[in-house]
Amino acid sequence: MINLRDKGAEIWENQGRVGRIVIAVGAIAIVAALPFIGGTFLNTPIADYESVLVYPIAMFVLMAIGLNIVIGKSGLLDLGYVAFFAIGAYTMGLLGTKTGLNTWEILPIGIAMAMFSGIILGVPALKLRGDYLAIITLGFGEIVRIVALNLGALGRSEGIQGIPTPPGFFGIEYAFDSHRIYYWTLLILILLAIWMVRRLSARRAGRAWESIRQDEDAAELLGVPTFKYKVWAFVLGASVGGAAGVLYASKTLFIAPDNFTLQISILILACVVFGGMGNIWGVILGAVILGYLPDRIRFLSEARLLVFGLVLVIMMNLRPDGILPRKKREKAIVKKDAS
Amino acid sequence: MVYGVLRMINFANSEIFMVGTFATIIIIRDLFKFTQVSEYATGFRLWLILGTALIFAMLVSGILSMLVEMVAYRRLRRMNSGVLAPLISAIGVSMVLSESVRILTDSRPVASPRAMEKKFLGQFFDAGIRIDNTIIVISALVLFAILITFVNKTRMGKAIRAVSMNPNAARLMGINIDGVISATFLVGGLMTGAAGFFYTLKYENTTAFIGFELGIAAFTAAILGGIGNIKGAFYGGLALGLLETYASFFLGTQWKAVTVFIVLVLVLYTRPNGLFGEALTQTRA
Amino acid sequence: MSKSLIELKNVTMKFGGVTALSDVTFDVKEKEILGLIGPNGAGKTTVFNVITGVYQITSGEIIFDGQSLAGVRRYKITKRGVARTFQNIRLWGDMTALENVMTAADTHKKSGLVSGLFGFPISRREEKRDKARAQELLDFIGIGEYSDRLAKNLPYGVQRRLEIARAMGAEPKLLLLDEPAAGFNPAEKVELAATIRKIRDAGYTVLLIEHDMSLVMKVSDRVVVLDFGQKIADDSPRKVQDDPRVIEAYLGVPEDAS
Repeated sequence: MINLRDKGAEIWENQGRVGRIVIAVGAIAIVAALPFIGGTFLNTPIADYESVLVYPIAMFVLMAIGLNIVIGKSGLLDLGYVAFFAIGAYTMGLLGTKTGLNTWEILPIGIAMAMFSGIILGVPALKLRGDYLAIITLGFGEIVRIVALNLGALGRSEGIQGIPTPPGFFGIEYAFDSHRIYYWTLLILILLAIWMVRRLSARRAGRAWESIRQDEDAAELLGVPTFKYKVWAFVLGASVGGAAGVLYASKTLFIAPDNFTLQISILILACVVFGGMGNIWGVILGAVILGYLPDRIRFLSEARLLVFGLVLVIMMNLRPDGILPRKKREKAIVKKDAS
Repeated sequence: MVYGVLRMINFANSEIFMVGTFATIIIIRDLFKFTQVSEYATGFRLWLILGTALIFAMLVSGILSMLVEMVAYRRLRRMNSGVLAPLISAIGVSMVLSESVRILTDSRPVASPRAMEKKFLGQFFDAGIRIDNTIIVISALVLFAILITFVNKTRMGKAIRAVSMNPNAARLMGINIDGVISATFLVGGLMTGAAGFFYTLKYENTTAFIGFELGIAAFTAAILGGIGNIKGAFYGGLALGLLETYASFFLGTQWKAVTVFIVLVLVLYTRPNGLFGEALTQTRA
Repeated sequence: MSKSLIELKNVTMKFGGVTALSDVTFDVKEKEILGLIGPNGAGKTTVFNVITGVYQITSGEIIFDGQSLAGVRRYKITKRGVARTFQNIRLWGDMTALENVMTAADTHKKSGLVSGLFGFPISRREEKRDKARAQELLDFIGIGEYSDRLAKNLPYGVQRRLEIARAMGAEPKLLLLDEPAAGFNPAEKVELAATIRKIRDAGYTVLLIEHDMSLVMKVSDRVVVLDFGQKIADDSPRKVQDDPRVIEAYLGVPEDAS
């Protein structure tokens, strides 16, 4: 397990252009075929396998990628990530039931709303240091839930019902139980998110985030506009969460404030921590494991939060890098005539 | 206190409070076999019950707090793992504690029998004075005074302050850092346990979730007043209490949290140090 | 008479009751190497901190390249042309040496997050250009072979030089070096002196804090001495060495006490 990351990186780096495309396409094909591979063996007590692939697994993966930008790459502890998920979902809920727009039309609006709230939260909050940022974001997550709980327009505790499913195209139908279709749609979103993150990581944004995470004061003194990039991290993370929310609402047909509790923020945090902060493949893996196992194993399901809490404590103390650590391990270089 | 020494907010503290409330109930209900149908306790018996409950709650919370430090934070401190790791660990601890209790209580509230008759003592302008409130306020002030004395006058108190100002110098001067930090958590836990006792005495009820509910309020109060500063915490608590009451009155209780949050953000925006405290914003180069 | 690149005029810096700098006035001329010395606690690092915007001065003026630095955000000060190294190495350990320098070079990029994401030509061009430049700087300083190594794994001497290369990556006009020779053996110090001169010859202006007297005297064109936050000398190295006030500040007794 320890050398999985190094091995994977080695293989990838030794390929030429063609080799890499082959690997990438192959991997995507395998993942896309997952709905066909599992049998009833992989069902969980509450829902069958294909449904689970959509939620929680694919949703968690998407959100974990988003949160990873904020926590893993930039080192900003956001405990209220569920807020963006909720904002996306309620945007879909409201617009879906009150206007004639369909899911695909609402999707960019939902993402925009989430990004906007990322700015609203980020601008005051990101002036604060780590622990205070954490509390403020936690507060924000709760506030969104409380507002949803108390505003008549948002349905109070009953939430919003009758949210339309996305319209089909090319003969593809988004029926409520056509899990595979949703799964592949989410897969596309996930791939987009991965592309976005990897693209940015190799350029100025990635370096800015890394330098902020490791030593923000030094970064600012060496010309990095730290505040701007911190807000960007928030906004991009929010956009991913919002997208997940829109699709979530569109699939489950009805949403209520109880769907968007602090629990979820903690869950996604656990995925990121467990999987490997900063490493996109790690968080994907973490989200898959933590999304699936608690539902599968009865005992775990009851005490799910307890387990996640333990995961957080144990991981931080024993293996803070997560199961797939951030970068390749390197041996320290020793000078030949070390003094 | 923990913040002053470790520069870290102990998220788990609110759960330690919650445990303190349960500890209180255990004493009153189970140890003294006190049930609602019997008459109220009076005189010596009453003080015995209350005193034991208070001490037990304080001890349980204090020791639990120390254990948490040893298990969840100590290693990270040694590894010098940065700011994020202890916070995440603290959240984990918070989850473990609250969920454990939740499962044990089946997510239901637990009631505390009323040990004393809550007599009215008199009037103060418009507000009635009840004896339990009086006891709580006086005891809190006494504990506060003890805490201040401890921090300023005793040897361990001075050691704690030394470590909070400059850990390296303290270590070089022969102060046992681990011991001091354990003591800090212990004392913090004791105070938190006392708070748990007071809460149970007044509200006669607790759930596995109040740690979270009140924890947010506590942090908000601390931030309002300015973290790192006991005086600030005091005034912050006062300010928050007033703010919550007025907000509930004018807007209805469901908007209480939102109002407080918005006020908090505004305060932090204009006065990043809170009202009295040290800087909450980025540290210097 | 060459132009002043940066001028400190009557700069006073107070922190509550403590006065770290008191009415300090000096300038650094273009292409000059100015040494800043003084006993511990004299205020040397504070000078760096007020120039780079870590602190806002209590009174006085700092004029850089004709413009006041009052109230300017730190990263903007860097963009205007001031970059520094740190006394206690503050590299970004999880990034490679090359990435460390490239991050500093990002200061002057016109392309940002959006153009990076969509791969606009300007972003690709600048990226390529800055990567080459970063490698150039690493070679210039003599650590080119370490470009792909994580900064935290580098030997101490290489790290110190990387700090300098990184600061240079921000294309500064004024380079602030904070005790660059700390922990070096004599041979390394000689090398460093040559490097600093090489840097100046390449067109940079250098303001240097150092404790090693011989290094400072050898390399500097001019020396400013601080003691208890005040400037007590400002002259060529030789004259400063013989200045009785300077000697007193360091040794505590005047030269001819008996």
